[in-house]
Amino acid sequence: MSWELFALLVQSCGLTIAISAVSIVLGLLIGILVSGAMLSRNALVAWCGRTFVSFFRGSPLLVQLLLIYNLLPVLGLNVPSLVAAIVGLSLCDAAYQAENMRGGLNSIPKGLLEAADMLGLSPRQQFWRIKVPIALRLTLPALTSEAIMIVKASSLVSVVGVVELTRMAQDLAASTFKPLELFAVAGLLYFVTNWVLSQLGRRFERSFSWGIR
Amino acid sequence: MSTAPTSAHPAISVRGLSKRFGQTEVLHGIDLDISQGQVTCVIGPSGSGKSTLLRCMAFLEEATEGTILINGEPLGFSQAPGADRVRLSPERIRAVRANIGMCFQQFNLWPHMTALGNVSEALKTARGVPKAQAEERAMAQLRKVGLEERAGHYPSQLSGGQQQRVAIARALACEPKIMLFDEPTSSLDPELTGEVLKVMRDLAADGMTMVVVSHEIGFAASVANRITFLDEGKLLLQGTPAEVFGKPRHPRLDQFLDTYLDRGAAMLV
Amino acid sequence: MIIDFTHIIEQLPELVRSIGVTLAIWLVGTAGALVLGFFVALGLRFGPRVVRWLLYFYVELIRGTPFLVQLFLLYYGGPFIGIALDPIPAGLLGVTVYGAAYFSEIFRAGFDAIPRGHVEAAQCLGLTRMQIIFRIEVPEMTMLVLPPAVNMTVILLKETAVLSIITVPELTFLMQAIGSQQYAFVEAMAVLACFYWAMVSITGRIGKALEQKLSKFTFAHT
Repeated sequence: MSWELFALLVQSCGLTIAISAVSIVLGLLIGILVSGAMLSRNALVAWCGRTFVSFFRGSPLLVQLLLIYNLLPVLGLNVPSLVAAIVGLSLCDAAYQAENMRGGLNSIPKGLLEAADMLGLSPRQQFWRIKVPIALRLTLPALTSEAIMIVKASSLVSVVGVVELTRMAQDLAASTFKPLELFAVAGLLYFVTNWVLSQLGRRFERSFSWGIR
Repeated sequence: MSTAPTSAHPAISVRGLSKRFGQTEVLHGIDLDISQGQVTCVIGPSGSGKSTLLRCMAFLEEATEGTILINGEPLGFSQAPGADRVRLSPERIRAVRANIGMCFQQFNLWPHMTALGNVSEALKTARGVPKAQAEERAMAQLRKVGLEERAGHYPSQLSGGQQQRVAIARALACEPKIMLFDEPTSSLDPELTGEVLKVMRDLAADGMTMVVVSHEIGFAASVANRITFLDEGKLLLQGTPAEVFGKPRHPRLDQFLDTYLDRGAAMLV
Repeated sequence: MIIDFTHIIEQLPELVRSIGVTLAIWLVGTAGALVLGFFVALGLRFGPRVVRWLLYFYVELIRGTPFLVQLFLLYYGGPFIGIALDPIPAGLLGVTVYGAAYFSEIFRAGFDAIPRGHVEAAQCLGLTRMQIIFRIEVPEMTMLVLPPAVNMTVILLKETAVLSIITVPELTFLMQAIGSQQYAFVEAMAVLACFYWAMVSITGRIGKALEQKLSKFTFAHT
């Protein structure tokens, strides 16, 4: 494989990583809010949260991306395909993060919250000061596998016209007639990226657990 | 700490308190007054409902019937004579609860905050005290329980006894009028109970109104002003330690104390 | 936005056919993945060193790369090494190979979760290696793997949508065509999403029911 081709692939891999990073951060933020909604005492809010999670986990990401990509212009939001792709990825990731967070939030010992009750913290204060910090640390291991999932899932944004790694490999394969090499190298680049992610994850888990079982 | 009573009312007034869990009735129509500045120990066998009673006083459990008054103010439910109970708003509940500090068997320190963080959190978040001031007051409390060098440590780095003392400091930081203790030493190794009981003794000497559910009969006999003996959800005995522990004793109490001879109750025999 | 579903209903025969393709590839692919995955797990646990190495690479590669890239490699790159497949067989093979890697991990975790003591008890009682594997470990493992296996089956259903990209005539492929022909793309995608959503929910419920039925065989440790 020539250097130019490889360089192009590596470049687009950078875009893949960038898209994934943004989507994970957005997904986490939205996911925390959604998990809070799911545990809300307001029945309607809780139902909305649960339905959001159910829908985005229950339907294929590809369909979600196609839907959002075509829906946004209809709603009057003419955004570049990159933005639509990130919106789609983030919403899907948010649903999975919300589910992880919900598990984390539920596993916090009740006593910790009773102590907060006794000390006068309001439900909202308890959510942001006690529940979320603890749940985040509890679900930290899941965050690494989530990140790896998103990097792989980002390959689907190729269908809405974002020239990330997969799309670049596709385009180059079409013009050079070398699909085998190009897709193999693309696969390898994904593999290396994910491997690095899992190594980083393991390092971070150790230093951020702060003794929380 | 001032010993002046804050009102003419009893610190805690329990009337007709009953609690049912499903089909099981755990508390039967308890009537109880806790006086200002006094230490009341609630003792009794397992399953007698003493923890439930304490938790009802803190409104951590909702009684099925009856009312609780804290310094004359209803907590959780208010009930006009002859009328049904009316549930009070969360703000009212929080306001009345501000008079109470609670110490749990499992300490319940927040693992992601240091000792100082735990003690100052309620001041900062719930009471809106500025950070510097809150931490100053928190340090003062940690000093009182003898843990100021541990202020920067996380709960996972502290022993059980130290954690419980931090928990006491955390409750005291909000300057409650009444302190409730739910089996504060039951989760501790025997060597560590002493440091916690000392803090509680000092607190009592300062005139704090305390309600203590505990198995530490020795502590109860020596520190309490009043002993309340609960058995199978009913209030069997009430009185000063001399009255309750003096001979002749109620047969149920004798039965109960038999199991505690090696826990410091030997002095009473 | 004008919601017009009549266009979609007009194409009922094609719809039925493509749903059939989706379900067929999903069910056959999952079955194949389960069987292949099981043998991969066995090979990883009990096989000779070389086999274990190869299988380990296979599992790590498949799990570390996107499904779409694997499909592209197979469908567009395959002919260059003598594997020239039509879309449907390619899709089927892709799903099977992809699913097997994940199922093998699930089986491995299941094997590991069997309490050592159960195996030791069997050894003390004189059972042979083969007997222990098939009379003790496999049955116990089956109960432990049920929830994650159901989860993976659901994931494979969702992944069949990706097959549309290599022109497999399944449901997503058809709905995209309908949607763009009839200028009703958003409606088509919305209906499509709901179809999968419903299928996933039903499968999840069946899985839960199965877990309930088998739960009487679990012990305190599970």
